[in-house]
Amino acid sequence: MNNTFSPQRFGLLFKKTLLERPIQMFGFTGLLLALILITYAITKTISGFTMAQNLTFLWGLIGGSYFMASFVFSHFTSNAIGSSYLTLPASHLEKWLCGILIAGVLYPTVFMLFYRLMDASFVSIYHNSLDPAAPFYKEQYRSVGTLSFNGFFAWKVYPLFLFAVSAMLTGSLYFNKAGLIKVSLVICSLLISLYLLNHLFAKIVFGGVIEDAWPFHYVMIPVGKAEGSILLPEKISDFAFNMVSYVFPAILFITSFIRLREKEF
Amino acid sequence: MIQIENLSFGYKRKKLLYKNLTLNLEEGSIYGLLGKNGAGKSTLLKNLVGLLFPTIGNITINGYSPKKRLPAFLQTIYLIPEEVNIPALTIHKYMHLFAPFYPAFNKEQFFSYLGQLDVKDQGKLNTLSFGQQKKFIIAFALACNTKILLLDEPTNGLDIPSKIRFRKLISSVFDNERIIFISTHQIRDLDNLIDRVVIVDNGSLLLNASITEIAQKLCFKTMSEIDDKSKVLYAEESLKGYSVVMENTNQEDSKIDLEQLFNGVTENPAKAKAIFQ
Repeated sequence: MNNTFSPQRFGLLFKKTLLERPIQMFGFTGLLLALILITYAITKTISGFTMAQNLTFLWGLIGGSYFMASFVFSHFTSNAIGSSYLTLPASHLEKWLCGILIAGVLYPTVFMLFYRLMDASFVSIYHNSLDPAAPFYKEQYRSVGTLSFNGFFAWKVYPLFLFAVSAMLTGSLYFNKAGLIKVSLVICSLLISLYLLNHLFAKIVFGGVIEDAWPFHYVMIPVGKAEGSILLPEKISDFAFNMVSYVFPAILFITSFIRLREKEF
Repeated sequence: MIQIENLSFGYKRKKLLYKNLTLNLEEGSIYGLLGKNGAGKSTLLKNLVGLLFPTIGNITINGYSPKKRLPAFLQTIYLIPEEVNIPALTIHKYMHLFAPFYPAFNKEQFFSYLGQLDVKDQGKLNTLSFGQQKKFIIAFALACNTKILLLDEPTNGLDIPSKIRFRKLISSVFDNERIIFISTHQIRDLDNLIDRVVIVDNGSLLLNASITEIAQKLCFKTMSEIDDKSKVLYAEESLKGYSVVMENTNQEDSKIDLEQLFNGVTENPAKAKAIFQ
């Protein structure tokens, strides 16, 4: 018997994980998608298409996956559920992959399909509402398009999505109860500490006259009555960006696997 | 076979619950694990199934180390915890999702055990009472036909008829290739069920003996007066004088009272050790 990975056993585990708590799993996904639809509709009316698209893509992908990640490893809230999960005859790799697949692949795929359908429908309704005989028809038509999944904004969201999922998966294995709240608090504390430390460090380096300092990005300093920004050199900036965007989540994903393997309950 | 060698375990490194515990459990026996509240009965079971890892020492079960939680090992062991939590599924759905993980699972046996324990198919399992849920999980665990079955306080939450049914069922499913290890503080529930008694207290193994050995070495009787206190392991006042557990020097036949045995061994461990040496 293969004690590391068996496709058949993995299939059984995946099916069990999805169908064991169907109301929570599918109901939760449905609720998230409904909220995204409502948010899109309201924001579009108030602030326009761009804001609606960006806001719902950001929160739908990051927030949704974050919640889903907290759900897939939420087995340690009681003795009975935790025991049942850890003693189920499946390998650690299969259990870990199952969590990653649901929170990091399945939910994002469902979300992006839904998002594309929703976005295309709203944009289509808008385009159909325009009068082709109107003087600025072409400009109005071109001003609204669907959000590109390969665009600038989307590529800013993907690293955040990776970070959120990996942090939540790892956190759920460290905090048995109220993992969602505890991990959120840890992330917030970490980000605030990082920002403040960076600010302090920038003040020491630039002589206490800085306006703002964003970690791994820039430092704003007053120059006479104006403001000037000192950017991180491109190579270092790229290195820092790649570290934070991809290497750090990868470390967190690996940590979650190690933690699952060594989890005592 | 379960081999526990010099097991030390504690939730805190400085405060060990078990110190150098060595114990071998052989196939073909139903073991009763007795201990006071907080003695570490559940902790020991968790160590056996790989939910907790020994601080020092080793546990080997049929050649596997439980802490690795390999699927090949987990297929051969089933732990029924004291509290059960069953998802909102029907009996058939539960079986459909969980049974494939246990290659020796037998569907006919499962429904037969459910019948014997009087668990009826009444829709979603989470709507059943705690006792019914517990009986359901006992039936499922038995139908998995794992070589090792660990039961943590299995009779908690069961009514009197269910306790009787539980005892009958455990006796009927038992065979010489299985180890059934039952942890409980409700000692009377194990009467006529177990064939070996394991008593733990203060992190040590106080007794690991078969019922036959206990009957040979100890005598349980009621006396109006105790003549020779040096042979008495335990005595308590009763309506007819004293209920006594004493060294069986005259090879008398008597019915084992597990509760008195437990009290005697935990209150007088040195003497018990001397008798069973």
